[in-house]
Amino acid sequence: MITLKSKFISLSLILIMFSFSILNGMVDDWGRLSGGIENLFIFFGESLWPPDWSVLEPQNYPVCTTYPLFDFTCSTAWIGMTETIKIAFVSTIFGSIISLPISILAARNLSSLSLSYFARIVLAAARSLPSIIWAIFFVILVGFGPFSGVLAMTIYTVGYLGKLQYEAIEGMNNVPLESARSMGLSKIEIATGVVIPEMANSLISQMIFMFEYNVRHGTVIGIVGAGGIGYYINLYLKFLQYDKVISYLIIIFIVVLIIDFLSISARSYFNEEGDISKPSWWDLFIPKMKRVE
Amino acid sequence: MREDNVVAKVIGKPIVKLIDVEIGYKNGETLVKIPDLEIFPGEIVAIAGPSGVGKTTLLRTIAGLVRSISGTVEVCGRVVPHRPKRGKLGYIPQKLGLVRHASVMHNVMLGANAGQKKEIIHRNKYIQMFSNSVLSLFPSTKAKRKSRDAIEKMRLTDKIGEPIRRLSGGQQRRVATARTLAQEPALILADEFLSELDDETMETVLRGVVTYVKNNNAALLVVEHDVSRAKTMADRLLVIDDGRINPFITEVTMIEVKV
Ligand SMILES: Nc1ncnc2c1ncn2[C@@H]1O[C@H](COP(=O)(O)OP(=O)(O)OP(=O)(O)O)[C@@H](O)[C@H]1O
Ligand SMILES: [Mg+2]
Repeated sequence: MITLKSKFISLSLILIMFSFSILNGMVDDWGRLSGGIENLFIFFGESLWPPDWSVLEPQNYPVCTTYPLFDFTCSTAWIGMTETIKIAFVSTIFGSIISLPISILAARNLSSLSLSYFARIVLAAARSLPSIIWAIFFVILVGFGPFSGVLAMTIYTVGYLGKLQYEAIEGMNNVPLESARSMGLSKIEIATGVVIPEMANSLISQMIFMFEYNVRHGTVIGIVGAGGIGYYINLYLKFLQYDKVISYLIIIFIVVLIIDFLSISARSYFNEEGDISKPSWWDLFIPKMKRVE
Repeated sequence: MREDNVVAKVIGKPIVKLIDVEIGYKNGETLVKIPDLEIFPGEIVAIAGPSGVGKTTLLRTIAGLVRSISGTVEVCGRVVPHRPKRGKLGYIPQKLGLVRHASVMHNVMLGANAGQKKEIIHRNKYIQMFSNSVLSLFPSTKAKRKSRDAIEKMRLTDKIGEPIRRLSGGQQRRVATARTLAQEPALILADEFLSELDDETMETVLRGVVTYVKNNNAALLVVEHDVSRAKTMADRLLVIDDGRINPFITEVTMIEVKV
């Protein structure tokens, strides 16, 4: 007898074997893998370690005028990281303001078929390119700097968040919509009076998630000159100063971890029933399981 | 309850008029056949019948949420698929349809807003719709007063700012009723709106709705699975009888209620 479980296991085995055979076709010499590990040790010992923490020291120019205790705020790491966070914040806010009306138009349970197709195409177009490609595009259009970064990330946010939003809206209970419709409320009234309050928690929680996502992805757009910490990473990569690069990467890792944690905490205030459950640090690494009472 | 429940005088045009209507869902078979049904202003009509026979579907058809398979459905002078004028039709669904994360007041205000006349008239219907919607974001004091009155009638004043998800089932039912009362519709469709209530609360809710219907010459079509309760409140009782004529199609039998 074929049970569901054995079906699942054999399907997984087939998929794994299939992937290995595809990989094998793309790898000409497996010996390169062991060579790669050797290279890693050499590279790590000679150029990556120890990290060069001078990136946390104030730059020579412009002259740092802050109180000496805070002179790290004149360092490239601080300037780059805060710029990345600022870009992420601004684009999340603008992106959600733009995406909300579009996602309401895109939701099948709120608008007509043709309108929802149109809105979906707009969102899909914004989402089709990763933010770094949008960043290249805007660097060409408006020049280097965080403004291009904000434009790029805003567009990507519209596409990505919009999809999350309309899928959430389509999943909402149909009865409130039906009763509002039968009362004769207009579409805008239904959107503002029923859909947004009913979905507020998940919309806010998606926004926080998007901010976290934008901070993570905002670290790379600097590589193409769209502002943020990626600019310095690219700079020192070019000068082969890998020990500085690694300290930027460690800083990014720590900041992303902190923002992840803050995002989980903040979202826990907006979960379905609004019951507050404080997460612990462990939730970053081991997602919380639903406790069975 | 019977004392103030005067038998309806048949005045004017019917608010609901069904002719040769077959109801059901798109791909399914016909659930109920209604040869002829008219509900007049000031009248209270109850529908009873076994579970799953199509009572909710009938209400949803009248509310314009489900298309009838055949026949004409006329509500407040408009033939479906044309909708009744804004706010004319009030619906208390079996599953209530409240905005769970919003307050009692917010939910009742939805009804009160729907009941308000649209103030701005413009020849472009989209401009009119948009400007009125913007206007409705700033609710009138009249709508607020009506909402408070309805909440008071349903004895929920102490819960006015509470989100719906923190209310009991019976309290939620009363919010849905208050929403419809604040709307002041010409026709109320109520789906089992008295379930989950204790006797005293039920009396309050029922009196609130019946008084509104009688004073405003509105019509009430109520689904009530409890036949004895249906008989105490209604002027007429329609029993949807299951499968006697045809195993799939059921006929509506009208039973006059003795006063
Ligand atoms: N959205 C739907 N699409 C298709 N079929 C449906 C849908 N909703 C209900 N039905 C079916 O229609 C039939 C009638 O359902 P309806 O809800 O009208 O019954 P009811 O008389 O109100 O029952 P109850 O007293 O239990 O509320 C049921 O067999 C149900 O399975
Ligand atoms: Mg029902």
